[in-house]
Amino acid sequence: MSSGVLAVSMIAGYLGGALVACMFSRGRLVRWLTAAGALVGGASALALAGAELTGRSSGNLHVLGYLARPDLGGPQQYVQVLHIVDPLAAVFLAVVGALAIPAALYSVGYTRAWEGRRSLRMPGAMLNLFLLSMSLVPLAGSIFWFVLFWEGMAISSYLLVMTEADEPETVSAGNWYLGMTQFGLGFILAAFFLLLPPDGSGDFTALAKHAATLSPGLKSLVFVLALIGFGAKAGLVPLHVWLPSAHPAAPSHVSALMSGVMIKLGVYGVLLFGLRLLGGGPAWWGGLVLTLGAVSALLGVLYALMEHDLKRLLAYHSIENIGIIFIGVGAGMMFLSYGLPELAVLGFVGGLYHTINHACFKGLLFLGAGSVLHATHTRSMEEMGGLIKRMPRTALFFLVGAAAISALPPLNGFVSEWVVFQALLGGASIPKREVAVLMPVAVAMLALASGLAAACFVKAFGITFLGIARSHEAEQAHEAPASMQVAMAALALACVVLGAAAYAMVPALGRAVAGLGGLPPASAVTVSWRLSVPLSAPGAVGQISPLSILLGLVILLAAIPMALWLFRASRALRVSDTWGCGRIAQTPRMQYTATAFAEPLRRIFAALYRPTEDVSVDFHPESRYFVQSIAYRAHIVPWFERYLYDPVIDRVIAWAARVRAIQSGSLHAYLTYLVGALVIMLGLLMLWGR
Amino acid sequence: MDSAFGQLTVLGSSLVLLCGLTLLWRRGSAAHINAFAAQSVALAATAGLIAVVTGGRELWVVAVIFLGLKGTLMPILLKRMDRRFGGPRELEPYVNTATSLVIGGLLVVLAYIVTWPILDVSRLPTRAGMPLAMGLIFVSLFVIISRKKALTQVIGFLALENGIALLAMLGTYGIPFIVEIGVFLDALMGFLVMQIVIYRIQETFESIDVEQLNRLSQ
Amino acid sequence: MPLQTGYTVAIAQTALALLLAPGLVGLIRWLKARLQNRRGAPVWQPYLELRKLFAKEVVVSSNASWLFRTAPFVVFASTVAVAFLVPVLAAPLPFDSVGDLLVVVYLLLLGTFFLALAGLDPGSAFGGMGSSREMTVAALSEPTVALAIFALALGAGSTNLGQIVARTMADPAAAVSPGYLLAFGALFVVTLAENGRLPVDNPATHLELTMIHEAMILEYSGRYLALIEWAAWLKVLLFFSLLGNLFVPWGVATVLTWAALGWALATLVAKLVVLAVVLAVFETRVAKLRLFRVPELLAVSFVLAVLAITVSFLVR
Repeated sequence: MSSGVLAVSMIAGYLGGALVACMFSRGRLVRWLTAAGALVGGASALALAGAELTGRSSGNLHVLGYLARPDLGGPQQYVQVLHIVDPLAAVFLAVVGALAIPAALYSVGYTRAWEGRRSLRMPGAMLNLFLLSMSLVPLAGSIFWFVLFWEGMAISSYLLVMTEADEPETVSAGNWYLGMTQFGLGFILAAFFLLLPPDGSGDFTALAKHAATLSPGLKSLVFVLALIGFGAKAGLVPLHVWLPSAHPAAPSHVSALMSGVMIKLGVYGVLLFGLRLLGGGPAWWGGLVLTLGAVSALLGVLYALMEHDLKRLLAYHSIENIGIIFIGVGAGMMFLSYGLPELAVLGFVGGLYHTINHACFKGLLFLGAGSVLHATHTRSMEEMGGLIKRMPRTALFFLVGAAAISALPPLNGFVSEWVVFQALLGGASIPKREVAVLMPVAVAMLALASGLAAACFVKAFGITFLGIARSHEAEQAHEAPASMQVAMAALALACVVLGAAAYAMVPALGRAVAGLGGLPPASAVTVSWRLSVPLSAPGAVGQISPLSILLGLVILLAAIPMALWLFRASRALRVSDTWGCGRIAQTPRMQYTATAFAEPLRRIFAALYRPTEDVSVDFHPESRYFVQSIAYRAHIVPWFERYLYDPVIDRVIAWAARVRAIQSGSLHAYLTYLVGALVIMLGLLMLWGR
Repeated sequence: MDSAFGQLTVLGSSLVLLCGLTLLWRRGSAAHINAFAAQSVALAATAGLIAVVTGGRELWVVAVIFLGLKGTLMPILLKRMDRRFGGPRELEPYVNTATSLVIGGLLVVLAYIVTWPILDVSRLPTRAGMPLAMGLIFVSLFVIISRKKALTQVIGFLALENGIALLAMLGTYGIPFIVEIGVFLDALMGFLVMQIVIYRIQETFESIDVEQLNRLSQ
Repeated sequence: MPLQTGYTVAIAQTALALLLAPGLVGLIRWLKARLQNRRGAPVWQPYLELRKLFAKEVVVSSNASWLFRTAPFVVFASTVAVAFLVPVLAAPLPFDSVGDLLVVVYLLLLGTFFLALAGLDPGSAFGGMGSSREMTVAALSEPTVALAIFALALGAGSTNLGQIVARTMADPAAAVSPGYLLAFGALFVVTLAENGRLPVDNPATHLELTMIHEAMILEYSGRYLALIEWAAWLKVLLFFSLLGNLFVPWGVATVLTWAALGWALATLVAKLVVLAVVLAVFETRVAKLRLFRVPELLAVSFVLAVLAITVSFLVR
């Protein structure tokens, strides 16, 4: 299929799904058709990206160009609109398409719960429009279209977040989200406008040409503005505060898309500016990105540890993984500026690979959390437990996702973190030693973040699924509908495959970044059944084979029971009560809670958390020797919200209150403003005309 | 630098620095005094090693002084002070232990960054140990500002002097004898003055927690 | 070296590690007993324990799920997989290109992950406590391990185990360089933490206040317990092999002749005995730390690793 046909089918699929949702607002067929539209769109997007990455695409998408600007006529109309500009954009398009398929499938089962309570019009239409705008952002070739689709993405996701607007925290989450999006957009627009060439053409190639003529100071300003703007979208610390409220508030498949795909478009933006438009820069750019990434990784996981709301926990982990992606990207930029192209490719490949992998396992985890929410109607882990027996398949898929995000071999999370580690190891080659010191620091922070992530997911999986049910809803939980299970199964399989297929992924990603910003055209990574990456010392190679590890573990797991049988070990098994050191009764209250599990870490990192505890004891009315109930509440200080955002917001509100004085409500006053403005404008025109 | 002599001096300097880091790790005064004694012994050994290889007679004298006075006599005096004004065995430092250790590590990295220009210029085989000595200086300063017990601050000051001596030895095979003795006597004077001051603090406040000095302003 | 014999040696070395592991732990226990003026059980006692456990019936909690039953196999499989990768007898072996030091560390984390989940499965308070503490200690030792790996890899130019061994053998002076010694110190503390030895955890008691590893596996019995205990002992042997063969690699066979392998076996046993003596003396000397003092110990090991990196990285 030619690229043009695929592109048309993608857009048609999304628009068709949106149309169906708009016209009808309820019914099983509508849910399926809406999802089918998204599915078709996603599959086309994936195919389009795949064609580009494997070199079989047919170049520009002339059809769209003609449809968009027929008035221009001639060859100009094709230049300005949509075309896959480079394989880097194809990678992000592939991520969108790949995650759209399971999310759409999942939505069929998930939205069934809304039947009769909510109209499907808005969520269904907005889902498709969200996917459409996210697919078109990487394809945009000029400022106008980029910003158009970017804003489309923001607005459609805002409306999706507000789907369940009957809860007060959703409204607040939506406000934060919208505010931060517009804040970021301001910076992005500023960065774009600084790059505008004198003739006003917004095309990216023209921007890149003009950027080459700018002074280094101006280029750095543009990069910093872009980093702030796109960092706000990606969720880099300290611009991350909207993420933990907005992602959980949205319906689960939307959360999966937002965490898995939308924040990656922030990464795309930084790469767009850093590599394509500005063509690489001084080392401090990469150092800044690396530092912000490392800090985000650590802070994200530290705050995730303290959460017992399952979806907020996952949202904080998204911040952590964005941090890891930016560590890879930052390292790549630093190596590029020091003239170490092979190591730079390694850094970028690590970042991109982790982008794909994170989309995979974070999408899976959010869908799993959605299934749990669907079954138990609560997001708090403290009320769950024992779900593995009620929802065995969801538990299995969630376990795969948890193992992947904890970077356990041979799954995909481990492989991409390994690549990032190898890139950081190359820091020994950086000539300037003050800068090279950053690399071991980043290694230590990355290792700590990944260890803490493993601890956090033992908590998340263990408290939610294992043990005994802690509430009535958890006891009555039912397995998720088939469509949701299939979606999760597909993602779980992808996690395994993406890890084992590392030997193919890494060279493909190396080709994707080739040629950008001065990177070598051909990747130096060899292709064989194992993954080999060249390192800094001559002839030294880092090698692992995730496929072999997977096979080896499977063989061993099969061989051990066989060996036991061969050596005639006892096969007797008896089911009885939990021993618990000889205790007789076992109630759900005796288990560890999520707060209890994280308590040692809360104490160890008390300098960061500043935890306060609140214990209230209710005594029996008859006697103080008997206790009726004890309530324990632990709070941590939200540093960024309290000390960074609240003062700024307060100042803005105070300022706005003062400006509000002009809204007196009197008609005469407003008319006076109008006439006054008119007079002033006429006066200015007369002055300038002179 | 790769010679055995270079490696051994770096090893000695590492031991001296590790004893300094022990001041951040352990909490009791007895452990601090033992760490200081061990540090002085290691320093004396390093000085002796350099003296053997370079044949400087003054360094032998310096090594013996370190061993005798700082390795033996001062710890005895410090232990006596501890017995007299001991007070509670542990006082919470301003910065908790784990954070102090991480900061200590970062201070050593900072010391490396600060000493790089010297490393590039120097030609001596012992130059690799100089950043460690500088690190000890920074760590001792950190000990002085982050610990509450006056006795620990005194030990930190003495460790600081050890660090300066080590730096001088590694950088220039020892400074002129007169200067070395002068620095040493300065430290001794400071030590005696501090002993008197601690005695006065103990008399006035019944404890040697330097937080109590705030009360003087009331 | 020819591939077939390479694979044979790899399998043989794993089998050897499995066979020696209970003996090593038995030796450590016997030494500690003698140091504490007791007679102590004979060195081969752990073998008898294994035989007893494999013959016993398994009692599983009614609250537990399939995860409880599969966790012992996952833990054992991941530890045996690590045994294939660590240069116990010879380096480099064919499996050298399958996994490097990072893979080793994270495979061990895989085992810990599943064991911690299995602690939460029966729903008992002890299991939860053990899981929580175990994951805390594991997470806090990660930075140290990563930096120690970094320090070793800086010298060798790669995280590949075969290359690290080769580099130290080619340049003996590097073995006593301060960078290596500091990294050794850091890894020794991590060995204590990861294997649940004093002062982090007491493998001999079953008191709730002193348990980390024992608390997680409290509900296990029979062949499941046998697998988990054996995996834990194998882990001790593998850590000792890493400490011995990465830092003092002489004796590791580089060619696959009977003579070289025999010599490798002899030096391996010697290194294991030495490390066992060191560990036994150390454990007898120190008292167990309170849980909230363990991060301080881990911070010390972290600082040692930072020093190792600065000494070897920034002065070249």
